Amino acid sequence: MNLVLLFLLLGLGAGGVYALLGLGLVLKYRATQVIDFAHASVAMFSAYVFVNLRSTGRLELPWILLPHEIPIASAGIDVLPALAITLVYGTLLGYVLFLVVYRPLLRAAPLTKVCASVGVMLGLEAIAVLNFGTTSLATGPVLPSVPIRIASVAFPSDRLVLLGIVVAAALALLALYRFTRFGLATRASAENETGAALIGISPTAIATRNWVIASAFAALSGILITPISSLDPTSYTLFVVPALGAALVGRFASFPWTAGAGIALGIFQSEVTLLQAQVPWMPRQGLGDGVPFLLILIAMTVSARRLGVRGDPGTMRNPSLGRPTRPLATSIVCLVLGLIVLVALQGSFRAAFISSLITTCICLSLVLLTGFVGQVSLAQMSFVGFSAFVLSQLGAIAGLPFPIPALLAALTAVPLGVLIGLPALRVRGVSLAVVTLAVAAAMDALVFSNAAFSGGLGGRTIGSPTFFGIDLGIAQGHDYPRVIFGVVVLVVVVLVGYGVARLRTSSTGRVLVAIRSNERAAAFVGVDVARMKLFAFALSSFIAGLAGSLLAYDQGTVSSASFATFTSLTVLAIAYVAGIGRIAGAVIAGLMFASDGLFVSFLDAWLHIGQYQQIVAGVALAFTAIQNQNGVAAELAGEKGLALRIARLRDRILPVRWFGGAAPAPLRTRSTSDVTRTAAAEPAVAVKEEAGARNP
Amino acid sequence: MLEVTDLTAGYNGLAVVRGVTVTVGRGEVVALLGPNGAGKTTTLKAVAGLLKPLGGTISVDGAATAGRPAHVLARRGVALVPEDRAIFADLTTRENLRVAASGKAKDREAEVLDLLPELRKCLNRKAGLLSGGEQQMLAVGRALVGRPKLLVVDEMSLGLAPVVVQRLLPVLRDVAARGTGVLVVEQHVHLALEVVDRAYVLTHGRLVMEGTAERLRSDEGLLAASYFGDQRAAERLVASSGGSAESPEAAPLEPRGPLP
Repeated sequence: MNLVLLFLLLGLGAGGVYALLGLGLVLKYRATQVIDFAHASVAMFSAYVFVNLRSTGRLELPWILLPHEIPIASAGIDVLPALAITLVYGTLLGYVLFLVVYRPLLRAAPLTKVCASVGVMLGLEAIAVLNFGTTSLATGPVLPSVPIRIASVAFPSDRLVLLGIVVAAALALLALYRFTRFGLATRASAENETGAALIGISPTAIATRNWVIASAFAALSGILITPISSLDPTSYTLFVVPALGAALVGRFASFPWTAGAGIALGIFQSEVTLLQAQVPWMPRQGLGDGVPFLLILIAMTVSARRLGVRGDPGTMRNPSLGRPTRPLATSIVCLVLGLIVLVALQGSFRAAFISSLITTCICLSLVLLTGFVGQVSLAQMSFVGFSAFVLSQLGAIAGLPFPIPALLAALTAVPLGVLIGLPALRVRGVSLAVVTLAVAAAMDALVFSNAAFSGGLGGRTIGSPTFFGIDLGIAQGHDYPRVIFGVVVLVVVVLVGYGVARLRTSSTGRVLVAIRSNERAAAFVGVDVARMKLFAFALSSFIAGLAGSLLAYDQGTVSSASFATFTSLTVLAIAYVAGIGRIAGAVIAGLMFASDGLFVSFLDAWLHIGQYQQIVAGVALAFTAIQNQNGVAAELAGEKGLALRIARLRDRILPVRWFGGAAPAPLRTRSTSDVTRTAAAEPAVAVKEEAGARNP
Repeated sequence: MLEVTDLTAGYNGLAVVRGVTVTVGRGEVVALLGPNGAGKTTTLKAVAGLLKPLGGTISVDGAATAGRPAHVLARRGVALVPEDRAIFADLTTRENLRVAASGKAKDREAEVLDLLPELRKCLNRKAGLLSGGEQQMLAVGRALVGRPKLLVVDEMSLGLAPVVVQRLLPVLRDVAARGTGVLVVEQHVHLALEVVDRAYVLTHGRLVMEGTAERLRSDEGLLAASYFGDQRAAERLVASSGGSAESPEAAPLEPRGPLP
């Protein structure tokens, strides 16, 4: 009993930090509708600043290449001044990030904001890795701590102080939002921006002030966690996941619920550690991280009421959709081009091209799910990973001719996809994004970290695919990567692309897009929305699973690190930024944005960006999101875009009469935004014509 | 106090309203009338700063305001009650009023409640739970709580029962009596003409007529003719009754040349 109490009190430490981070996330969301995945990154950076001030008296600046350390004292400085400097620092860092990244995106679609914040998160983490390294730093206490006893349990008093800070912060925010004009103005502006502007509230100014307060919270969380958890860039960045969980329980609106949930989460994890030590049959890993997310998932699905109503992206804010004009001809052209590239490239570039193709396949699963149907999934890599591990354990079945094991492994991802689709029947928009992130975190903790399933750190090996005795594998002796494997991957990906394109123009595709535009209206015209959503999740997870099989064959050994929680986030971000409404977007994502893809390999070979790759990727992601809010592919598909020229070239090589196609010449790619523009323009024209007709 | 001169405004570079000139004096209630799609709401949006004009000038109390964002204009005393009311459904009635009142919130709140006593009984209810009429009252009240120099009301009667409209329209008179200029768009033409001092008629984005409420009231045919864009008939009517109802800026409709 005493032990239970002790672990409860110890859990207050982590719980308090989750709560503080969660409060910051709620503040940011309420003021700007941004779910800031980079929130804990600001906390992480502040923690480094604080620790370095304390130990060496040097101020750490958030950049690379330029000198990043300014000595402001000859030796380490005291807690209080260091605390003050770090709070100011964190607040400024948050403010600058807001000005550069988030403010231009205030009116962007929710997913664009998510992608930009993922970019910031990757960038900050990469800077921290370069400047501070990945070794964990253990640090001294921050809050005054003396051992105290409650019911014969001795524990450090700083945990109680932390609890006090959290309660005070939650109450202060509650009062601020309920009683002050600033709080009212924030709530008003979040609900109806036009209405707020009409009574003299500047939405941007309100957003800025809230963001600054939230950044101060991030810095404070970063400082307070240093004595509890040893400091390294990745694990601090990942604190955003439990914080998101806490914010989710508070529905991204309630401060007390968020604070309470954060603390409960910390206590729960602490008690699970105790249980694992005492009960022999408990799984060793993952319970503490995984179970809370399962609980959140179930709670959200069962109790979802009005969550997501506001975050629900309206029709006008959906990313633009493409309409494939001649899928068959395009697929043939892509196949031929792909073959040429495969043969022309050698060595690591060929391997990079194959990686690009596999990323394209993963992104295609998102084009279908997020692009066409508007369902956000941050768990896509969970499907990929699940199939990859299943493929590694098929045993004798793995020896069957090639497509069979891959297809079987992909099929195992389908039930998982349907399972994740269930919450989507009740939860929408950005909330769905967070729920699926919870799924990814739970999968990561309970399944992928489970050594019995994933083979621990060493991972699991996968045999080469064969086709009636022909070895299709990527390596044969010193021959790596082999063209034949590239051809296999290329054929699969082109087939998937062709399938997705055909789906888009089919009647099923129209139904899916109708659901994306307006679920209720779709139901009114007789669409079974629930069934179609589940169908989309099933198909999408199948495609992702297929990509998982290819990835397993490609890498030979799969380990859980490839499918960690944040890989799903990165994949969605690159697919979105490249253009999630289009097949071409998936291709661009694979070739240009994949971190092990062709373009990045070229850059690395020519410019030797090597160690800076993640920073470049993060910054590029954030700025592409700001510049092309409809995705790169949509920009290319514009009036004078590259896509039109490519399409014309294709039609010259493969005339329409050969392979048919939906669209007759003259070719013009029509996006949904074009349609709305014409629709808006038409009545004016019609009125003018009528006027003319009446007055001959 | 409001002077709109030669305003051109529209969406995506496409002009919906062309060459519109409107003035509202202190303590005056002015209506903007016209059929659907005439550009009334577009004009109001430009006045309130929700839409950047493509051309022309707008000034309030002599200070140019065209192109300023809505929140700046609101602080300078231009209050718009938009068509969709834009009340904050999650805030209570009292919070809705308080968030709009800077400074002496209590006094101003009391002032508004004297004008719209019906709001008293729902002060602590969430605005989203109010009836349509109450919501509209709240929208007007929220606009007034900042003591605007100019109150702009778009389609106040939309979706409201006639009895509520008859209650609300005269409130505008009370507001004007305190020296505020009021500009309204109203579909209930006859009710509106009971309340306003002057009215402009817009058709196809152009001003086709301007006159005192009295004149427009007394000549049904004139109003009907202008509503249907039949300017020749309108001018005949005007000519036969002696005088010119057409404002100097109102150009003839697009497809026809100027009259001889």
